[in-house]
Amino acid sequence: MNETMNLLIGLAMGLNLLALGSNRLPTVIRAMAVQGMALGLMPLLIEGQLNWRVILVAVATVVGKGIVIPTLLRRAMRAANIDREMEPFIGFVPSLLLGAGGTIAAVGLARLLPLLPEHAGSLLVPGALASVLTGFVLLIGRAKAISQVCGYLILENGIYLFGLLLIHSTPLLVEAGILLDLTVGVFVIGIIVDRIQRAFDSLDTRKLTVLRE
Amino acid sequence: MTPGVLLLFAASALVAGIVAGPWSSRTWLGLTLMATTTALAAALAVLLGSADWNWSSTFPVGGEVLHFRLDGVSALFLVLLSVVGGAGAAYAHEYWSDAEYPNSALRGRAWWGGLVLSMAFVLLASNGLHFLIGWELFTVCAFFLITLDRQNREVRRAGWLYLAASHAGTVCLFAFFCTLAARTGSWELGPMREQSGLAPLFWLALAGFSVKAGVFPLHIWLPSAHANAPSHVSAILSGVAIKLGIYGLVRFSGWLPVPPAAGWVVLGLGAVSALFGIVFALAQNDLKRLLAYCSVENVGIILIGLGGALLGAAQGDARWGQLALAGALWHVWNHGAFKSLLFFGAGSVLHATGTREMSRLGGLWRTMPWTAGLFAIGAMAVASLPPLNGFISEWLVYLGLFEAAASRGATAWAALPVTIMLAMAGAVALATFTKAATVVFLGAPRTQAAETAHECGPFMRGTMLLMAAICCGVGLAPLLFWPAISRAMGDWHPAWANAAPPAALPVLGSVHLALAILMLAAGAWLWRKVHANGLRRRLTWDCGYAAPAARMQYSGGSFAGIAAGWFFWLLQPERTSRRPRGAMPGHASRIERIPETVLERVIVPVSNVVMRGSTAVRRLQHGRLQAYILYLVVGLIALGIFVLIGGSP
Amino acid sequence: MMAMLEMLLRLALWVLLAPLLPGIINRVKAWVAGRRGPPVLQLYYDLARLWQRGVVLSTLASPGFVVGPAVAWVAVLGAALLLPLGPAGSVFGFPGDVLLMIYLLALARFCTAWAAMETGSAFEGMGAAREVSYAVLTEAAIVAAVLSLSVQTGSVTLVTMLAPGTGAGAVLLAAGLFVVLLAENCRVPFDDPNTHLELTMIHEAMILDHSGPPLAVILHGAALKLLFFAVLLTEAVLPVGRLTSAAAAAVLVGGVLVVTVGVGLVESLLARLAFRRVPLLLTTAFLLCLFALLMAWKGGAA
Repeated sequence: MNETMNLLIGLAMGLNLLALGSNRLPTVIRAMAVQGMALGLMPLLIEGQLNWRVILVAVATVVGKGIVIPTLLRRAMRAANIDREMEPFIGFVPSLLLGAGGTIAAVGLARLLPLLPEHAGSLLVPGALASVLTGFVLLIGRAKAISQVCGYLILENGIYLFGLLLIHSTPLLVEAGILLDLTVGVFVIGIIVDRIQRAFDSLDTRKLTVLRE
Repeated sequence: MTPGVLLLFAASALVAGIVAGPWSSRTWLGLTLMATTTALAAALAVLLGSADWNWSSTFPVGGEVLHFRLDGVSALFLVLLSVVGGAGAAYAHEYWSDAEYPNSALRGRAWWGGLVLSMAFVLLASNGLHFLIGWELFTVCAFFLITLDRQNREVRRAGWLYLAASHAGTVCLFAFFCTLAARTGSWELGPMREQSGLAPLFWLALAGFSVKAGVFPLHIWLPSAHANAPSHVSAILSGVAIKLGIYGLVRFSGWLPVPPAAGWVVLGLGAVSALFGIVFALAQNDLKRLLAYCSVENVGIILIGLGGALLGAAQGDARWGQLALAGALWHVWNHGAFKSLLFFGAGSVLHATGTREMSRLGGLWRTMPWTAGLFAIGAMAVASLPPLNGFISEWLVYLGLFEAAASRGATAWAALPVTIMLAMAGAVALATFTKAATVVFLGAPRTQAAETAHECGPFMRGTMLLMAAICCGVGLAPLLFWPAISRAMGDWHPAWANAAPPAALPVLGSVHLALAILMLAAGAWLWRKVHANGLRRRLTWDCGYAAPAARMQYSGGSFAGIAAGWFFWLLQPERTSRRPRGAMPGHASRIERIPETVLERVIVPVSNVVMRGSTAVRRLQHGRLQAYILYLVVGLIALGIFVLIGGSP
Repeated sequence: MMAMLEMLLRLALWVLLAPLLPGIINRVKAWVAGRRGPPVLQLYYDLARLWQRGVVLSTLASPGFVVGPAVAWVAVLGAALLLPLGPAGSVFGFPGDVLLMIYLLALARFCTAWAAMETGSAFEGMGAAREVSYAVLTEAAIVAAVLSLSVQTGSVTLVTMLAPGTGAGAVLLAAGLFVVLLAENCRVPFDDPNTHLELTMIHEAMILDHSGPPLAVILHGAALKLLFFAVLLTEAVLPVGRLTSAAAAAVLVGGVLVVTVGVGLVESLLARLAFRRVPLLLTTAFLLCLFALLMAWKGGAA
């Protein structure tokens, strides 16, 4: 049980680095999608008994994060007619090194935190910290709106991982609510991205500074 | 012949040399060589024997009795001093001869004798006061040697920077020795490991000796001083004077207790110096400046070994600490040998062509085959390639780090990143010396100066051959030199006395020998096969350009450009370019300059701020009497208020 | 006496088997492209032919131009002989031989770069500059990989080190070492051995002006280096040292074949990376080896 969980979280951490190092937007979207799907399966592994609620939320998460949200993002990407991140604020090699360093630091930090014995050996906390850091690096370091949205979603994955620590006390209804929020949010972002593209003829968020007065 | 008699003879010969120097170069050379040979004999007698040599005078000098001590550690450094001091003197006889430099050659000879004498004084001094006197003397002698060519503005600036930085370090040393004397009650130096109250003094010693050793970021004086000094002076500065800073660190980390964090700090400083130093070296286009920055890297390697040794000694005398220390001490010798060889080669190039700029050289192998071949050996040694001596000491340091990592102790956390940084530094060193050796000596001459070069004379060639022979000898027969290293190690840490060499050392030596023989044989065989098959000479193919020019070769800056580009954040290059304009462009240029980043981006701005603050404060001193009286009144009122509130005056 | 015989046998094995690998790679590439391709033994024929040819030297070249390739060849062979071959071990292993191995490869690189700069041609200089620069990153990756093996087994001798663990660490190490193999042997995606554009070459540019016997020595040395890295990769990932002789031989041969076919497939299916993206890929290889090191570290500490 623990081994499979650690394997999935290790995969998620690897996908973080892939998202940081790649400049092609489809790759970043796919990395975020696979990460979401892998993490969506986690409640099935943690919960002792599998009642229909757990299975429902897991399926909804996998479908939402793995299919629906990426489809919305790809549609926005096609509408804006871009597929590459050209000049990020934080270069690809520095962001990759930052992500790797952050992952190592997260593993070290997790050992110092007072965790429950059942969580002490697993990669839950380091994975969560690493994903949050990756999300922030993407949000701060990239100029294209879609990369920033993927960063936000990876950040959400990280927070979701943290939430799994409290799975026995948080009703799954809350998780389902968060999922719904995410989906609606990305849908709205898709519309906004289209609007930005039409107004500025580019998805470079640096142009948004024009709106400052 | 006891070491004492030998040393006395050496000292008198040196003094005689200083006196006779201005008159006859040959007499000076003979006397200096006699002195250095006897000093070498004395040092070897102590290193290969088992007893230290101690001598105290009956008369006080400067208030303290003279106390000289020659033990394993000082003998190790004395050997280096003798060899480089003698070789440099022979080199100077021809390189900075009376005929070419009528004004400065006489002074140079006298100051050289003074430098060697004062450095030996520092190595032998076992009394804090005399250590400081010797230290100051050798700083001053080195300053005068650096500025031999006083007419050149760059040389003068380099000299002033050296002097200022050295004195900043000496201030820390003054504080160190005075506090030590105050706490122990006497100026006498000796093993004092039991007095744990002395541990915090190590930080003062670290600051003071690091400036002299050229540790990043206190190395700011090193590049300009070593680049602008005459080449034989650069050789002794890089080969020996820097090592006196190392000597101080080794000596006082062995005799005094050290704080527990010392090993970590030294290890970290070493790793940073190693990587950053060689990155700076890669980006330089001035041959001697490149060699100077490379010295920073090698000091870093020595410090890595020393840091490992400190940590090993603190953690139960671990075997890996012993290996690291052996590597560090051996690297002192190896670096002295190959760096002197490289500086002698650079001096030969400078002598022949009049320039140090690599972009103006090229194709020198044809006119200077000896220099080219010996510089190539030096380049291979500094890149720590087998089967030369640089590999032996770096191998020992690596072995120490690897075993520290495998032991999974607390040190392993530090050993892992340090090993990776050391590996990267080694690869950058390979790139740097490929650039230096090939851009200068291979290809076609890029300017008239390079075309009309000539080979150096017998003295210069002889000293280079001697240094190259040392590099090859240590590389091929390392086991011969182990007893000396282990003697020095035993003096540093008694628990490590009489250390057996690592079991692999003799095997490594025989592998090196086999490799060397095989390589020579393979080279000779291929050469004969090529001649047997038939050999034709043609112009280099360059995609059919009708009139290829020598300037169209790959330049040093481009060679280093890829890797130097990755480190732009450290190097901060300044580029000025005038682009070609129009259909018939006129003059166009692109100049790239790598500043001494720590000096120009950190220290100079800070000192500018300090200067501006001081200038602002200076306005208080304007000469108006009434204002001065006002200052007095204000001060008195402030003091009164202070007392009223209740603070004690 | 037995040791000498064994050494000669190993030498023969390395020298004679090495030219097979480029032939296999070319065959794989041809098969993917739907062609027949050159015979697998093509490199042997090429070497024999080159060995008989005369040499054209540049007017600018010094004797180092001919001696360099010979020294580089001896260095690569020395590194290969240090590598243990399964349960047969190595002939003269000693603690720290892994460092000698790494630095012998560095010596080979120095000699090749020296020989490249001899002719004063800008193309060769460009290739040499790229080679020594990328070596900075591959060196970091190799040392991280070696450290992970060393930390895992607690030893610095090659024979004991190449007895790996299992699990994610081995996978990461394999991936990292494979990328390093591609970089060090100048394969796609770092360098295309079939390109004719000098501005895009790394290794090929360095040997542009060589001909005759020195070129034969260089080509054989390159094949030797490829075999060396393939054997190193196989031994680092599979526990060859613990098998019986027959099984070990089969596993080694199988592993080398898998790696070679893998290189061929990568060459057929991927395009060469733009040079400014190469540091990213090399940093990824370094991070893979670093994570393998950390997994080895955690595995032992736990």
